[in-house]
Amino acid sequence: MTRREAAVVPRESATGAIYDLGYRGYDGPRLGRRAAFATLFWASLRAAFGLGRSGRSKVVPWGLSAIMIVPAAVAGAIQALAPGGLSPFNYDNYLWDLQPILALFVAAQAPELVSSDQRNHVLSLYFSHALARSDYALAKFGAMAAALFMLALAPLLVILLASILASPDVAGAVGDQLGNLPQIIGSPLIYAVPLAALGMAIASFTPRRAYATGAIIAVFLVSAAVGGILSEAGRGRLSLVAPLINPFVLLDGTRNWLVGNSIPDSPVSRADLTLPVFGVLTAAVTLIAIGAVLWRYRRIAA
Amino acid sequence: MPLISTSSLTKRYGSSVTALDGLTLDVEPGIIGLVGANGAGKSTLLKILLGLLEPTSGSATVMDMDVATQGPEIRQYVGYLPEHDCLPPDVSATEFVSHMGRMAGLPPAAARERTAEVLRHVGLYEERYRPIGGYSTGMKQRVKLAQAIVHDPKLLLLDEPTNGLDPAGRDEMLDLVHRTGTEFGIATVVASHLLGEIERVCTYLLAIDAGKLLQSAPISSFVERTGTLGVEVEDGADALAERLVAAGLTAVADGRNVLVDCPDERPYDIVRDVIDEMGLALTRLEQRRHRLEDLFRVEGRTDDAA
Repeated sequence: MTRREAAVVPRESATGAIYDLGYRGYDGPRLGRRAAFATLFWASLRAAFGLGRSGRSKVVPWGLSAIMIVPAAVAGAIQALAPGGLSPFNYDNYLWDLQPILALFVAAQAPELVSSDQRNHVLSLYFSHALARSDYALAKFGAMAAALFMLALAPLLVILLASILASPDVAGAVGDQLGNLPQIIGSPLIYAVPLAALGMAIASFTPRRAYATGAIIAVFLVSAAVGGILSEAGRGRLSLVAPLINPFVLLDGTRNWLVGNSIPDSPVSRADLTLPVFGVLTAAVTLIAIGAVLWRYRRIAA
Repeated sequence: MPLISTSSLTKRYGSSVTALDGLTLDVEPGIIGLVGANGAGKSTLLKILLGLLEPTSGSATVMDMDVATQGPEIRQYVGYLPEHDCLPPDVSATEFVSHMGRMAGLPPAAARERTAEVLRHVGLYEERYRPIGGYSTGMKQRVKLAQAIVHDPKLLLLDEPTNGLDPAGRDEMLDLVHRTGTEFGIATVVASHLLGEIERVCTYLLAIDAGKLLQSAPISSFVERTGTLGVEVEDGADALAERLVAAGLTAVADGRNVLVDCPDERPYDIVRDVIDEMGLALTRLEQRRHRLEDLFRVEGRTDDAA
């Protein structure tokens, strides 16, 4: 084929004479659908933290990441300076206590991942490649979940590090902490996957970023408020199930069931429900949310 | 092997809008112009070929692959330039095109290398490192073209590639399209509502109207010489026509033009001599050709008659 040959032709252009090597074809491998999925996943994970974007898009994710870690770091530092002092934080209560930061991260970054592709019509380009529509939805959801996982894992690792360093017997402390690994890995996972699913389910339904962010915040605020009010004001059965409206209560219950201990005086410990209830409800909400995202991308015009 | 083949392809939106109406066609590789008015079904056809839309009924194959079942395989070898904006404003052209190259299956190193190459081919230089949001319409169209050819497709689908461009930008984009079709050797379908553009760059014409195939033939068959000489004079077209008829030619006056039948070369000299004798001011002397517009004009008449 003639076009595979590089013909050197000097060509006049605005920037002076340039040597045009001619168009060259590509005969190398074409990696197909799985590679496209992986590419989209990594690109979206980077985008969730504003990497490769302008400084402005880094402010929110990095600011929230810092706020997420600072309490753990400060508590750790105090522990190191005053050995024997008790930290207010542990693996059980940290993510529960910092749930607003997780919620804000979802509200800010889930729309970043999906709304702008809709608003700028980039979807028609994605869907005109080897990627299936469900691949797009799952890659974006996976990236959001991975970003949340990292955000939630980081402070727990700080707590881990602080308790090892604060201990007089470092080697012994490492051994002790090994037993906590399921909790250190498990809790962020239990928080990340359902939160990402919820955030994506809401954000994927509007190309307007501000609407998506507002809707996600509203869902978290309203569910927490309603759950709280009903459990205070309601009687009997109602006050028992009311906290389940709040997704974070479901998450804490699931965590409590699978990898940790209960947090004293938390809604979960007050609710007096058998813990698998939280787990089953969390799984149901997550699956429904993922289903909604898949449905949305099967129907959306591109 | 036909490049594109469709068989009674129909697409309805809802119950009232029919975008494609039993379209059957076979297209061989080349630069194919897909022409039709806005709403004729051009974009719908391209989207069905890409697998972005499902046809209501009928079937289509691209490079012998079935659109309904082999969408992902087809899309690996197809480049698409959509009609509307499709670029994120906050990333640079280099990043975006390379990302799209990888979405199309290029390994990372190849994607980077080819991105640099195709951006140079479409004429984006220093600005390729700046966010796309700050680009002019012309530059955005170039980025759209670059992302469509970054993976060296076998087939390029361009939906109104000159959309929103000024005349100079139009010319440059059409030159680029012509180069991708000829020099780069990529089979190309150009959808446009502007016949002039199709005429300039395409070798083959598909005309559709209201979702039906109007014409399918090489461009050359539309723009053959008609054997008519158009003579435009300042004044006295009627008198000129009379004198020419008297000289034994077949000629009719049409406004300031006199149309003269030219079965051979004899009329040229006669026309020259007669105009000289009459002392007329000759403005233009041209060989009349069929124009693509005639295609639609004729079709419009039969529509009226039906």
